[in-house]
Amino acid sequence: MNQIPDIKPHTTAMLVGPAAALMFGVFVLPFLFLLVLSFWSQVPGSLQFDTYLTVLNYARIFGDSYYLGGLWTTLWLSGLVTVICLLLAMPLARWIVLRAGPAKGLLIGLSILPLVCGALLPTLGLVNLLSPLGFINGALKSLGLIQSSLPLLGNITGVAIGLVQAFLPLMILPLITTMERLPQEYEKAAMSLGARRLVVWQRIILPLLLPGIVAGSLLVFCASLTAFVTPQVLGQGKVVTFASLAYQQAALVLDWPFASALAIVMLIFLGLAGMLGALVTRKFGKAS
Amino acid sequence: MKRIACYAAVAAVGLFPCLPASAQDFSGHTLTVGTWGGDIERLLREHVAGPLEAKTGAKVEFLLGGSGDRLSKMAAERNNPTMDVTFQNIYEAPLALKDGLVAAPDAAAVPNAADVWPGMNEGCYAMSLVGLGIAYSKSLFPEPPEWADLWQPEFKGMMAYAPYPSSEGDGMLAVAARVAGADEHNPDAAFAKLAELGAPKLTYSSLDEVLSLMDSGEIAAAPMISGYVISNLENYEGIGFVFPQDPGPVLVRDMVCQVANSPEPELAQMFIDLALSVETQAAYAKELNFGPTNSKVELSESEAANVINTPEEVASLLQMDWPYVIAQRSAWTDRWNKEIMGQ
Repeated sequence: MNQIPDIKPHTTAMLVGPAAALMFGVFVLPFLFLLVLSFWSQVPGSLQFDTYLTVLNYARIFGDSYYLGGLWTTLWLSGLVTVICLLLAMPLARWIVLRAGPAKGLLIGLSILPLVCGALLPTLGLVNLLSPLGFINGALKSLGLIQSSLPLLGNITGVAIGLVQAFLPLMILPLITTMERLPQEYEKAAMSLGARRLVVWQRIILPLLLPGIVAGSLLVFCASLTAFVTPQVLGQGKVVTFASLAYQQAALVLDWPFASALAIVMLIFLGLAGMLGALVTRKFGKAS
Repeated sequence: MKRIACYAAVAAVGLFPCLPASAQDFSGHTLTVGTWGGDIERLLREHVAGPLEAKTGAKVEFLLGGSGDRLSKMAAERNNPTMDVTFQNIYEAPLALKDGLVAAPDAAAVPNAADVWPGMNEGCYAMSLVGLGIAYSKSLFPEPPEWADLWQPEFKGMMAYAPYPSSEGDGMLAVAARVAGADEHNPDAAFAKLAELGAPKLTYSSLDEVLSLMDSGEIAAAPMISGYVISNLENYEGIGFVFPQDPGPVLVRDMVCQVANSPEPELAQMFIDLALSVETQAAYAKELNFGPTNSKVELSESEAANVINTPEEVASLLQMDWPYVIAQRSAWTDRWNKEIMGQ
C-alpha cells in the first residue's frame, strides 16, 4: 500500500528541477552574495563597495556592547513571545480540535487571520489600542481603574503584544495538526489505568504533541527574531532588535555590508534554533 | 541634438517625418516614478502624470516609499535601472550624481530647469524648498519657541524625533551644535548638547501618531520639516509650527532626479519639466506649503506666509555641510543610538 511508485531518474529531475532552479536563482545566489557582501565594506560617503575582504563588520558587532545588547534583547524577546504563544495556543488548539464541532473550520480560519493581514496594518491598529490616548488606556481610565496611562508602547510589553498577535497562528496551526492525529483512545486508556489528568498530560499528551510544539515554537521564534515592522512601530525606536538594526543600516545608513553582517549573525542564530529543535525532538521524542 | 540628427537622417533617407517631442506618440510606453505616498503622489498624479499621459499616450506608474529605499534600488539596479524618475532629498541627490546613478541636470532637455533659482539644481533638479522648524504643543509653549527654549528643564524627555538617520535628525544635531556655540563639524558638542534634551518620548513612524500626542501635551515639541506639518495643523488646534530665528530653520530641499540610463529618458525629462512648471509648483505651495523652486511662481501674501519662496528667505536659512554629514553617517548613527536614544 505504501509502495513508492517507480520513478525514473529523469522524471525525478523534471519534478524537482523547476523548484530547485527557482530556489537557486532567487534564494541561494542572493544568499551567497549576502555572505560575500558581509566581508566587504562601504566606501564612506558613497554607495560604492570596497571589495577588499575584511572581518571588520563582524568585529564591530561582537566588539560593541550596543550590538550585543540588541542581540540579547532580540533573543530573549523572541523566547518570551514563543512561550506566551505556546501557553495561549495549547488550550485554544485543544478546544478547537475536541469541542468546536462544526465551527472548527471557521475558528481555524479566524485564528489564522493575522497571517493574511500582513504586518503593517494590524500593527498600526495596535498603536491606536495601546497608545497613551488609545482605547485600552481610555477605557481603563474612564472605568476609574487607573489614574495615568499605562505605558504599553515604546517598551518590551508593547512589542511582545504585537508579536504574539502576529505570530500566534504559527503556533496554533502545527498544534492543531498534531492534536488531530492524537488518538483519543490513548488518553482514555491511560485514565482507565488510573492515571490522573496531570500524569496523562505529562506522559501521554505532551510527548505525542512534541513535534507540533517544536515546529510551532521554531516558527514563532524565527519569525519574532526577524520581525522588524512590529518592533519598529510598537517599540517607537526604544526597543532595539537585531532586525530593526539591520533595517536601519540597510535602508537609512545605506551601509549594506554591515547590514549583511547583521543578517548573517541573525541567520546563524536561526540555524542554532533549528538545531536545538531537532535535538529536543530526537531526545524527548524517543524517550516517550 | 537628437532632433538635428533625426532631421539629418530624414534629409538623407527621406522616409519618416520628424515630429517635435511634444506630439510624439508614446502609447504602450510606461514611465516609472519613485516618490512619497499621500499628498505628494496625489498632486503629482493631478498636475504631472495626468497631463503627461494625455499628451503622450504613455502610462505613468508610481512606486511609493521612502527616499532611502529608492537610493538603494538605484544602486542595486545600477546596470539595469527600472525607475525613470525618482524624488530624493537634499543630501541624497549629490551623492547619487557622484555615484553615477542619476543624470546631471540639463536645462536643454528640461526647459523649466532654467527658471529654477540659481544654484539650487545641485545633483538633481530642485523640486521644493522646505525648512526644519519646530512643531510645538501650544499648551506647553504659549509663545512660539526658539530653539534654545527646547532646553528648558521641564521639557526634558518630551521630544519626538523621526527615525535616524534622516534630515530631521541631522538638522537637529546641527542646531544643537549651534546652540552650544559650535557647528556640525564638532559632533562631540552636537551630541552632548542634544543629549541634554533627554531620550525622546517617541520615535515616530507616522505624522498622525506624533501630532495627536503633541495636541494633548504628552509631547512638548518635535523638529519637523515644514510642508505637510503646516498643512496638517488645521486638524490640531493645540499645535503650532514656527521657523526659529537663532539659528534660522535648516534648509531641506526635495529634489527630482532623472535616473541614469533609464528605459524612458525622454518621458522622464518631460515628467520633470512638468513637475518644475509654474502650475505644479504653485499647487505644491498652495496645497502643501512646499516652497516653489521655480522663480516665476507668484504667490499671494497669505499663501507665501508659511512657504519658503524667495532667495532672500533661503539665504536666512541654515545651510548644512551635507557632504561632511553624509561621510559621518555610520559613526553618527551609532552615536545617535547610544547617546540620544540612551540605549
